[in-house]
Amino acid sequence: MTTGSMKTKRAIGNTITYIVLIVISIIWLFPFVCMFLQSFRSMNEGGGGMVDYLLPKQFSLDSYAFLFSEESKFVRWYGNTLVIAFFVAILSTMMVLCVSYALSRMRFKGRTVLMRFWLILGMFPGFLSMICLYFLLKQFGLTQEGAIPGLILIGVASSGMGYYVTKGYFDTIPKALDEAARIDGASRARVFFTMILPMSKPIIIYALLTAFMNPWCDYVFASYVAFGYSDSYNVAVAMQRWVWTNDYQGYFTRFCAGGMLIAVPITILFMCLQKYYVEGVTGGAVKG
Amino acid sequence: MKKKVLATLLATAMVAGCLAGCGNSGNDTASTPATDDAAPADDAAPATDDAAPADDAAPAADEAVEYGSGTIKVWVAENVVEFTQKQAAAFMEANPDMAGYEVSVEPVGEGDAAGNMITDVEGGADIFGFAQDQITRLVSAGAVCPIVGDNANFVTSENDAGAANAATVGGTIYAYPMTSDNGYFLYYDSSVITDPTSLEKIVEDCEAAGKNFYFEINSGWYQPAFFFATGCTLTYDTDDAGNFTKCNIDYASDKGLVAMKEIIELKASSSFQNGSSVDNGTNIAAIVDGTWDSGPAQAAFGDNYACAKLPSFEGSDGNTYQLSGFGGFKLLGIKPQEDAGKLAVCHALAQYLTSADVQLSRYTEAGWGPSNVTAQQDPAVQADVALSALAEQLVNTIPQGNYPGDYWTLATSLGDDVITGTLSTSSSDEELMTALQNFQDTCISYAQ
Amino acid sequence: MGKEANSGSTANKQNPVGKFFGNLGNDFKEIGLTFVEGDWKTKVSFLIMGFGPIMRKQFVRGLALLAVEVLFILYLVGFGWNYLKDIGTLGTVARVMNDNGTYSYNDNSFLILLYGILTIVLIFVFLLVWRVNVRVNRNEEKLLAAGKKLATNGQDLHSLLDSNFDKTLMALPFTGVMVFTALPIVFMICIAFTDYDANHQPPTNLFTWVGLENFKNMLSFGTSGIGSTFLTVLGWTLIWAFFATFLTYFCGMGVAIMINKKGIKFKKLWRTILVVTIAVPQFVSLLYVYKMFANDGLINTYLMKWGWISSYIPFWSNPTLAKVLIIIINLWIGIPYTMLITTGLLMNIPEDLYESARIDGATGFQMFRSITLPYMLFVTGPFLLTQYTGNLNNFNVIYLLTQGGPQSMALSNKAGYTDLLVTWLYKMTVNDTNYRMAAVLGIMVFVVTAVISLAVYGILPSVKDEEGFQ
Repeated sequence: MTTGSMKTKRAIGNTITYIVLIVISIIWLFPFVCMFLQSFRSMNEGGGGMVDYLLPKQFSLDSYAFLFSEESKFVRWYGNTLVIAFFVAILSTMMVLCVSYALSRMRFKGRTVLMRFWLILGMFPGFLSMICLYFLLKQFGLTQEGAIPGLILIGVASSGMGYYVTKGYFDTIPKALDEAARIDGASRARVFFTMILPMSKPIIIYALLTAFMNPWCDYVFASYVAFGYSDSYNVAVAMQRWVWTNDYQGYFTRFCAGGMLIAVPITILFMCLQKYYVEGVTGGAVKG
Repeated sequence: MKKKVLATLLATAMVAGCLAGCGNSGNDTASTPATDDAAPADDAAPATDDAAPADDAAPAADEAVEYGSGTIKVWVAENVVEFTQKQAAAFMEANPDMAGYEVSVEPVGEGDAAGNMITDVEGGADIFGFAQDQITRLVSAGAVCPIVGDNANFVTSENDAGAANAATVGGTIYAYPMTSDNGYFLYYDSSVITDPTSLEKIVEDCEAAGKNFYFEINSGWYQPAFFFATGCTLTYDTDDAGNFTKCNIDYASDKGLVAMKEIIELKASSSFQNGSSVDNGTNIAAIVDGTWDSGPAQAAFGDNYACAKLPSFEGSDGNTYQLSGFGGFKLLGIKPQEDAGKLAVCHALAQYLTSADVQLSRYTEAGWGPSNVTAQQDPAVQADVALSALAEQLVNTIPQGNYPGDYWTLATSLGDDVITGTLSTSSSDEELMTALQNFQDTCISYAQ
Repeated sequence: MGKEANSGSTANKQNPVGKFFGNLGNDFKEIGLTFVEGDWKTKVSFLIMGFGPIMRKQFVRGLALLAVEVLFILYLVGFGWNYLKDIGTLGTVARVMNDNGTYSYNDNSFLILLYGILTIVLIFVFLLVWRVNVRVNRNEEKLLAAGKKLATNGQDLHSLLDSNFDKTLMALPFTGVMVFTALPIVFMICIAFTDYDANHQPPTNLFTWVGLENFKNMLSFGTSGIGSTFLTVLGWTLIWAFFATFLTYFCGMGVAIMINKKGIKFKKLWRTILVVTIAVPQFVSLLYVYKMFANDGLINTYLMKWGWISSYIPFWSNPTLAKVLIIIINLWIGIPYTMLITTGLLMNIPEDLYESARIDGATGFQMFRSITLPYMLFVTGPFLLTQYTGNLNNFNVIYLLTQGGPQSMALSNKAGYTDLLVTWLYKMTVNDTNYRMAAVLGIMVFVVTAVISLAVYGILPSVKDEEGFQ
């Protein structure tokens, strides 16, 4: 019970915790550090392929220069992804907000049936319908040359199904506020636009952020829809080919460089908005 | 309550509107075949009866032919995209009557191309490059158009016999051969490998130097090097529609056992790595690989860059066997076309892209070994280290025929069983024989 | 629509089924009454939708109804019927080759099936709208008979922003889900009963109905069937989801507790470092990590250089090692999520609970077991369930790392030892264009997910008092 032994005990405990945390941090950052280093390896060294050491012997910007050169469409692919991510983020957030408000605040006929139906739909694996969606998009001319709007359409169309987190957030806003405003003669739409939305800034940012990040990792459906038309690739489609296809020799350092160019801005964006993200995932987890 | 109706209506009207929109575009596709149905029957067919031989055979014969206009999509591997674009432009310049067509070249690798063509023929390229192992798949899915008449003669007269054979399924030619270099041999670092003719010595040198020896034993393409070496066979017979009718295989035999044991023994070496790409490998001393990797291999080995035919090995029965393998080809296929004019242009363009001159310059620019007999005689081609190693090796190989897609998967599984240690040096002869018998039975089951 | 009603009713047993048919009977009765008792405007509305409302000056409703009817008829005659009539055979005339070497495309089984289903759905939707049309007429007549005024057009439109705001909000999302999720899923369920594969690929060839053949094949355990492979893959899928969910959960909570510990500084820094794996797109990070652990990758070569091992460790080519490594790498991806979620929740646990436990002399571990864990499990129950079902379908981690490999002669149809049902499904679709089996597999994934969800959902304490599926 002496405060002295308590203190030493706590100090030892803290030291161990620090050590564990430092080890964890190293493990978490190690791959990214490797990637960062490799992205600066000169093309003269190992021809841009894999090597069995960590520190490049010769630093250079060869890989980055290649990505921005005429030889590569990387800038275009990056732009494509940015455009898709931007529109998907805006439009799908709007869809989610609409659905969430309707399901949270209004009790209409078929509401529970609809929610159950969507829950059931969500249990089917997405890849199942890939081929069907491809041909559906093709009918509208939204594959190959039109793949970018096609991918935006697909990214947005069914986004209403992901309403859980936002609806959970809306549920926590007291209904008494709505009721008061409605007694004062405000319409539902007015309540939604002037009261609920301004109060939901964190969840809107969360929805925007998650929707923005999804398209960066979509290589499966995006490669299907682009169907060999390289101008319509997104970065994920193009870069996974560098790793998996033998046609692309010496693209390893370029992959690392491209990976850095994608990872750094998104990570910075994420760090800035981390607060909202945490709020979103926590809320979503608790409300289910 | 009644007012809810309205919004439902709006929603449905929207759905209906959408569908009407898609209905229109759908109508086009739906009605085209309907009119086409009638067209070939009465006016198109008789009209082409006399024009046909002239029109798809020799474009030069009939100057007045209307080729129409449009886009011709071409899919080739990444490293020859620019080259192909340039050659296509040259072709259009030389044939102004066909210049109504715009050629767009896209980088779609030989593996993806066949898969994509099968998934959606209509969306696929008009002319596409593929490795010959895909040809039966393409034929049976109807994704490649037969080559007949003078075009067929062009294929047989201009190319080496193996290449022409590789483009043939059940007596009909389906593609224009582009290269004759789809085989493999040994690239090695001459400062490490002292004797490239013996597998045991290579492995020993690699182990001593702590370097890696790459051989992709879980690929249906590299793996037969061992089995064919000991005298096993594995071929399939096909009918005209591209169906497999019979499998000729004797892996489950003493010869097969010797090969299997050799694969296992190679895998047991600490220097062995499974792989066949110079740039995806590290610390390489030797690699079994093809001509397409000659550039990276030169970069990796520098002054010690050397090539040789595959080594021989001493089997478990005490005999020495020369590693064999496949000799394969890359082909250029044409998608089945609905328009006669476009078909003629596609044939002409594909012929041009596989002609002697273009094959030769493709060799110069990208290192692809020609299938054209004239181009093969070129002194530069004859002097190429990698190509001559390949030529030496090709003597020991069997020309790659047609194999069902499932064969490649099965071979990967067999190779993976060795790599994972399911089959290892401690496996008894019976166990190995069971695996081989299993492999053989499954191979046979693919043919009906 | 019909599917919706059915699935709802079978889940809730007999009573709702009876209710459903009772409602249907009442509906017919009301339709009959409307016709018998209605005036001529109403009677005409039975054929020309919206006629009654238009005559009663409710133009917005009337014209909307009329527009639906016109569009529907145009659609059916001009488009839908062409496909619907062939849905029994899925087409009879395949592609033909003409004399001049060109080809003519004819029936396309794919489009026949797709648009056939669409047309059937639209017919149902149309019937519903027609039913609504009848009711609108009846209600209007009733109101007029009672001497009340009908809503003006302006009021009708305004209601869309107020009492009917839900319709406005839901219209687009609902349509989107129906067309781009529900329709494709119904389509693919139908594919499971056809022979659509590489050899029956429209528009070149036709495919047709084969009944339950594909299901029999999936569940047959002979030499030609793929039943045993299915079970192997299913087994690993369940095991993987279990470890991926719970290991991540507990490790993540552990890390959160460490960071939250009193006296630990730079809390924000630690969190930020961990969160990097969420921010970096997985295809970048996982593809790189895959290369790191390759037989000739960075990890193996360094271990060998330092003399810790004499020959490389086959991280990816040994099935067991690969499985373990995948689960470990998934920790790397998953811990930050759990850490973020649990951090906030841990702070919500009342501090005096710990205080009183400490006075009773409880150790740290005891406090964790009797206070922290029960609380966390209670609060995050639904989250764990969604994590589990999410992991059952966790495509990225598996595919970007091993692509399902290594394969074996013991497994058929390209399946590998680390394949999940979804990655196997993906390979069947993309590499083999074997859509018939892929569709069956998709249905199996659904069944597995649904069964687990239903079973777990019933025993979760924290959802029992919640309303419905919220």
